Amino acid sequence: MTAYIAHFLVMVAIYSILALSLNLLIGYSGIFSLAHAAIYGIGAYASALAALKLGLGFWGGMVVAASVGAFASALVAIPSLRVAGDYYIVASFGLQVVVLAIFMNWTDLTNGHAGLPGIPRPRVFGLVIEQPFQYVFLAAAFAVFTWAVCWRLTNSAFGRVLQAIRDDEIAALAMGKNVVLVKILVACLSSALGAMAGSLYAHYITYINPSSFSLHESIFIATLVILGGSERLAGPIVGAFVLLAIPELLKFLAIPDTVAAPMRQIIYGGLLIVFMLVRPEGILGRARHGR
Amino acid sequence: MAAETAVLQLQGVSRSFGGIQAVDSCTFDVPPGVITGLIGPNGAGKTTVFNLITGFLSASHGSIRLQGAEILGLPPHRVERLGVVRTFQHLRLWNKMSVLENVLLGCATPAGENVFSLFMRAGAVRAEERRARERAMEVLQFFGLADRAPELAEDLAYPEQKLLSMARIFATDAPVLLLDEPTSGLDSESLGRIVPLVRRLVEHGKTVLLIEHNMELISELSDQVVFLHQGRVLAAGPPAEITRDPALTEIYFGV
Amino acid sequence: MDLFLQLAATGLVVGSLYILCALGWGLIYGTTLHFHVAHGAVFTLAAYYAYAAQKLLGLPLAVAVAGAIVAAAFSGMLIDLLIYQPLERRGAIRTTLFIASLGLLTLIENVLAIIFKPDPLRMDVGWLGDSVQLGPVFLIRLHLVSVATAVVGFFALMAFLKYSRWGQAIRAVSSSPEMARTVGIDLRRVHLLTYAVGSAISAPAGILLAMDVGVEPYRGTTFVLLASVAVIMGGIGSIPGAALGALFLALLENIGVWKIPSEWQSTISFGAFLIFIVVRPRGLFGRKIHSAEI
Repeated sequence: MTAYIAHFLVMVAIYSILALSLNLLIGYSGIFSLAHAAIYGIGAYASALAALKLGLGFWGGMVVAASVGAFASALVAIPSLRVAGDYYIVASFGLQVVVLAIFMNWTDLTNGHAGLPGIPRPRVFGLVIEQPFQYVFLAAAFAVFTWAVCWRLTNSAFGRVLQAIRDDEIAALAMGKNVVLVKILVACLSSALGAMAGSLYAHYITYINPSSFSLHESIFIATLVILGGSERLAGPIVGAFVLLAIPELLKFLAIPDTVAAPMRQIIYGGLLIVFMLVRPEGILGRARHGR
Repeated sequence: MAAETAVLQLQGVSRSFGGIQAVDSCTFDVPPGVITGLIGPNGAGKTTVFNLITGFLSASHGSIRLQGAEILGLPPHRVERLGVVRTFQHLRLWNKMSVLENVLLGCATPAGENVFSLFMRAGAVRAEERRARERAMEVLQFFGLADRAPELAEDLAYPEQKLLSMARIFATDAPVLLLDEPTSGLDSESLGRIVPLVRRLVEHGKTVLLIEHNMELISELSDQVVFLHQGRVLAAGPPAEITRDPALTEIYFGV
Repeated sequence: MDLFLQLAATGLVVGSLYILCALGWGLIYGTTLHFHVAHGAVFTLAAYYAYAAQKLLGLPLAVAVAGAIVAAAFSGMLIDLLIYQPLERRGAIRTTLFIASLGLLTLIENVLAIIFKPDPLRMDVGWLGDSVQLGPVFLIRLHLVSVATAVVGFFALMAFLKYSRWGQAIRAVSSSPEMARTVGIDLRRVHLLTYAVGSAISAPAGILLAMDVGVEPYRGTTFVLLASVAVIMGGIGSIPGAALGALFLALLENIGVWKIPSEWQSTISFGAFLIFIVVRPRGLFGRKIHSAEI
């Protein structure tokens, strides 16, 4: 039972990182990305490969993951954010599709559908993290780190510029803000953090395959952000708790697997619609940024 | 007016929108330290001229020089950094942000806006933010908005929003301010508050180019007037001369 | 060379489905500026409507198809009426609309997955399944129907927009909603009409897919996003642009198979998209969209 709860908490921490990082884009910059699962996957595969093929340790893999994630994001952000918000939706979807195709089809590198087994457990300051409860602390530490980074980014002059761009891009331009550069930067930062969640996941589960990083997963992460309320830092964390609890609760109902998976998606999709119609500010509501 | 003393020089600037010549080889100078009024009937191309100067539109021909350096074709944020900043007719305040934050966005906070120094030079960022807040409060004081600092911009009354739109560009320290209809939509009481403020901008060493609709206010507000009609400069000179010219008044009032 | 021709012909057939999908999505996007991803659900629904009408109700093929097109048009209108219009009345921003649309797409796809199971379902097409040979190229009759449908659909839509009063209203709103409002056009009714027309023109694509290789619940997502790529490449607001963009994508994907393994098809399309928006952000014929107009 403790192992079960520990596992649940580790996953909440990992999804909190994903949601917090995606919220930098959706909530604070008003840019919608459909590629966060791909970025998550890039982090997982990059650090898994770094460990398996290059023999890099946990921290080295983390750095590789964050860099590759940021780079992949820059690749689509630079052409598409130059133009307008809607282009990024399409470009990020493209990234999602292409990255998943690479996971599935570049078999020499990624081992295709079979995935990559045998990813080593992380060694942190000489200690091998093996027990789920130990992993809770590691994952939580990373979640706190991500939260701190996001807090600093959003509660500063930089955060002010982000909000200004989101609320009125033209005014921000007129006041000398390099709107395009800031947007691209945020996309890269968001991806670097999201990729770190992937690295954490790979070392925790020790086996990864493409199915964890599908478009559905991207939509799921976006749902976490929106459900929790995208304008508060704590929002995505609350969203992660609530939405990860739903499938656990569904397990208690005797629903066959073939129905349970789409059923979850129906709940997520339904929540998105209902929240947009009834409560667009999410569970936690709108934070006043003025002070 | 000698060309070399002008802060801003427009030379043969043209721009058309699908066959309609919005600005047609427009040429005029904006001398330093005074208020230049840009007037003309509706659709004369006044706001288009603003958009061209500030880089929101690109011109098909011509040149726009700031202190002798070409700025035509630069993106808006570069133009602002070189020292030309504007207001908008529809204000474009950040409505969901506080009055103070609106002005803070005009204050220079390079360290706090740079992701690297934000994390690596926390001390410098803190000091800079403190200075920026002091500066923003001074600016708000100057515009008589200090007591409204914590409120959301959208909660201000319209005349105060207008003041805020000027406060936020004043905070940038740019020497050239472009005001798009600073007096439109105001009652006489608010006018009495804004007109002297605009004059005081010049006392602070600013060069002002403003768009004005009200012929009566133009003599009060400006030292030099440029009269625009169908995208062309019809006349330029002291306000008294322009407002007394019957031909121009006829065009203006469309008689 | 024969292989090339065969691939080009396949590209043309797939392209007709892309064209129909892009015409509908592009018309809706150009007119309402809604990033209507739920269009993918309408596309899939049309296919399942037709399948259900034929297989479960036992209706003849032509009746099933016609009924499915009408039902799809109503589905599109209902989405606008029940979701987008309430959101717009409350002054929701465009991202909010997009999120609701994405939620709806997810919802409908998964409801279909539960009702019809995730495996592909094929309709019976009778003699349309017979093969035909055109020179070195092998196709089935249905493929010729696909191409014909796309051609007819394209010209019918162009004529509708140009000559009918309703079509002119759509064009007016598409070029300037503000202007259209001032001349007394009811934006909400025009939007509703656009959803009906846009859904009806894309419905045959879904149905043809169900008749050819079969329909799966999650096919709509890929189709609608490829349609959005096509529309952006063709130029937003341009109907011929959308058709050309879609055709280009289909040919690129299929002729690409000549040299590149087929699992990389989608990579080719999106690679082309990224290159395209660098080189020509406003598309072949269109206007650029601004996230905010001055």
